[in-house]
Amino acid sequence: MTKNIPALLAAAAAFALPALAQEKTVIQYDCIPNYANWGGVTALYLKETGVRVPPDPKGSSATMAALEKEQANPQADVAYYSGAIGFQATTKGLHQPYKPKGFDQIPADLKDPEGKWWTVHTGHIAILVNVPALKGKPVPKSFADLLKPDYKGLVVYSDPTVQGTAFTFVYGINAIMGGGPDMAKGFDYLKRLDANILAYPREDSYNDLVRGEVPIWINADGNGLKAKHVDKAPIETVVAEEGTIVMPLVMAMVKGAPRGDEAKKYLDWLLGPSAQKTMAESFFRPVMPVDLGPDLASKFPPASAYSKARTLPLDQMAANADAVKARWVKEIKGSR
Amino acid sequence: MREGLMLFPLLFVVVVLLLVPLGTLGWSSLREPGAAGGWTWENYARFFASASARRALGNSLGISLGVAVVSTLLCLAPAWLLAGRDFRGKRWVRAILTLPMAFSGIIIGFLTVIMLGRIGVVPRAFEALTGLDWLQGAAYGFGGILVAYLYFEIPRATLTLEAALRKFDPRWTMAAATLGASPWQRARLVTLPLVLPALLSTFAVTFGASLGSFGVVLVISRRVSLTPLQIFDEVFAFSNFEAAAAMSVVLVVLGFAMNFFLRGLASRLLAHRA
Repeated sequence: MTKNIPALLAAAAAFALPALAQEKTVIQYDCIPNYANWGGVTALYLKETGVRVPPDPKGSSATMAALEKEQANPQADVAYYSGAIGFQATTKGLHQPYKPKGFDQIPADLKDPEGKWWTVHTGHIAILVNVPALKGKPVPKSFADLLKPDYKGLVVYSDPTVQGTAFTFVYGINAIMGGGPDMAKGFDYLKRLDANILAYPREDSYNDLVRGEVPIWINADGNGLKAKHVDKAPIETVVAEEGTIVMPLVMAMVKGAPRGDEAKKYLDWLLGPSAQKTMAESFFRPVMPVDLGPDLASKFPPASAYSKARTLPLDQMAANADAVKARWVKEIKGSR
Repeated sequence: MREGLMLFPLLFVVVVLLLVPLGTLGWSSLREPGAAGGWTWENYARFFASASARRALGNSLGISLGVAVVSTLLCLAPAWLLAGRDFRGKRWVRAILTLPMAFSGIIIGFLTVIMLGRIGVVPRAFEALTGLDWLQGAAYGFGGILVAYLYFEIPRATLTLEAALRKFDPRWTMAAATLGASPWQRARLVTLPLVLPALLSTFAVTFGASLGSFGVVLVISRRVSLTPLQIFDEVFAFSNFEAAAAMSVVLVVLGFAMNFFLRGLASRLLAHRA
C-alpha cells in the first residue's frame, strides 16, 4: 500500500491540476446561496460562461472587515453588501471605481457617481413567518405585534454587527417608530423586543426559518417570498403596518482585485437581463428595467403594501454605522 | 549531524507556525490602531476595563473548567476499559470515539441545534413524554454549550487518558492485595497516586481545548458570550484588529499558564513517587 502512495498522488495531481488550471473563478465576498438567490444567480453564470463564483457566507460587515484586513494582498474580486455597509466600505477606500454596462440606467441615488458602488437590486425589511411553527397563534401584522408575550422566544433577527440586512433593520426601526437622531425610540423598541428574541445568529437563518426552528425572522421580503413560491415552504411575508425600509443591495469591485478582467465581465453580466430576471424570480426587485411577466409580477406584494416604505440616506447610515453597532452590542446584546 | 538535520523540519514548523504568529499577535496587541500608531498598553487596559469583556472571560474560564472536570470524570471508566481490557469491537469503539473530534465546531453547533434547538429532537421527545416544554431551545443557553463541548471533549479526554493509563502496571495493585490491602486502600494508596498525573494532564488538555474552542459557540450562543466570540466580533464587526490581538494574548497566556501549572504539578507528583 505504502508503495502505491506516490503513484496515487501522481494520479490525483494528473486529474486535479488541469481542472484547477482550466476553471476560471471570480471571488465574491458575501455570496450567501439563500440570500437573494445568489445560489441560482451564480449557477446560471457558471452555465452561461463556465466561470465559477463560489458561495461565501460572510455578511456585509464581515465582508468589509475581511477586505480591510486583506488590503495589502486582496483575495476577493467583487463584494456584495447592504447599501449602508457598502457605502461605509467605499469611504474606507476598499473599492476601485468601475462602471459596468448599464450603469447609466441606474437611478442616481442608487449608485456612486464614480462607480465605487452601485445597486443590483432592492429589498425591504419584512417579518417572515413560518405559520405552522406558531402553532395556531395569529400571524403578527406589525412590529408592535412582535412585542406581545405570545411571541416570547419565537423572534429572530441576525446579529447586525455581521449581517447588513439586520443592520438596516436595527438602524431603520428608529425611523419607523418615528424617532429622531438620538435613536432613542429605535433602541427602546429593540430593548422591548429583546424579551421575545430566540437568538441573534451571525449566520444566515433561511434554512432554520424553513424548518421552523426559527418561527419569525426579521429579514428581507424577497427571502420570505422565495421560501413560499420557490421552495414551497409555509412562509408568510408580512410588510409591517407601521411601514418598512427600502434596502438597496449593492455591488462593488475590490481595489486590487486579483482577477480584475473576469470580475468586470461578471459585474457587467449581473446588470444584464438574464441575471436581473433571476434575481427577480427570487423576489428582489431588479435595478434595471426588466419585464417580469404577469405571473411573476402577481406574486410580489401589491404596491399598496409598501406605501409607507422609507428610504434612508446611505451616507448618514454609513457615518453612524460603527456607533450604532457598538450601541447595539452594549445595550441589546450585552443587556443580560 | 544527521539527527540535527532531522530536527530541521520541526524547527521550521515551530518558527513559522508558532513563533511567527504568536509574535505578530503580541506585536499588534501593543500597537495603536492605524498604520501610523505607536506603542501602547491601551488595548489591554480597555479589555480589563470592559465589564462585558471580563464577564465573557469569566464565562470562558467557567465553562472550560466545568467541561474539563466533567469530561475527566466521565472518561475515567471508558479509558480504563480501553486501556486495560481486550474486548470484541474495541477498535470500533475507539474509531467511533475519534469521530466527534473530526467534526468542525460549526458542524457540532448545528448538530446541537438539531438535537436541542427549539424544535430539537430531545425537547420534542421530552414534551411528548411529560407535556413540559422546559428543554425547548436548550441549545442556546449555558446547558447547550456545556453539552456541545462535552460531546467532543469526552472522546478527547478518553483517548488522552487511555494512552496514559496503558503505562499503568496492574501488578502494583496485585502486590498491594497480597500484602493485605483492602480494595479501598488499594484504590486510594496505590491506584490513585499512580493515575493522578495522567488525570491532571487529561484535565489540562480538555481545559485548553475548550478555552480556545470557537465554532460551536459561534452557532449556538444566544447571550452567553465567550472570549473567542468577542475576538471574532472585534475583528469581523468592528475591524478592531489590535483589540482582538490583545484579547487573544490574554487567552493564550491563561491557557498556557493553566497547562504549565498542571503539568508542573503532574511531574512533581511523578518525581515524588520515584
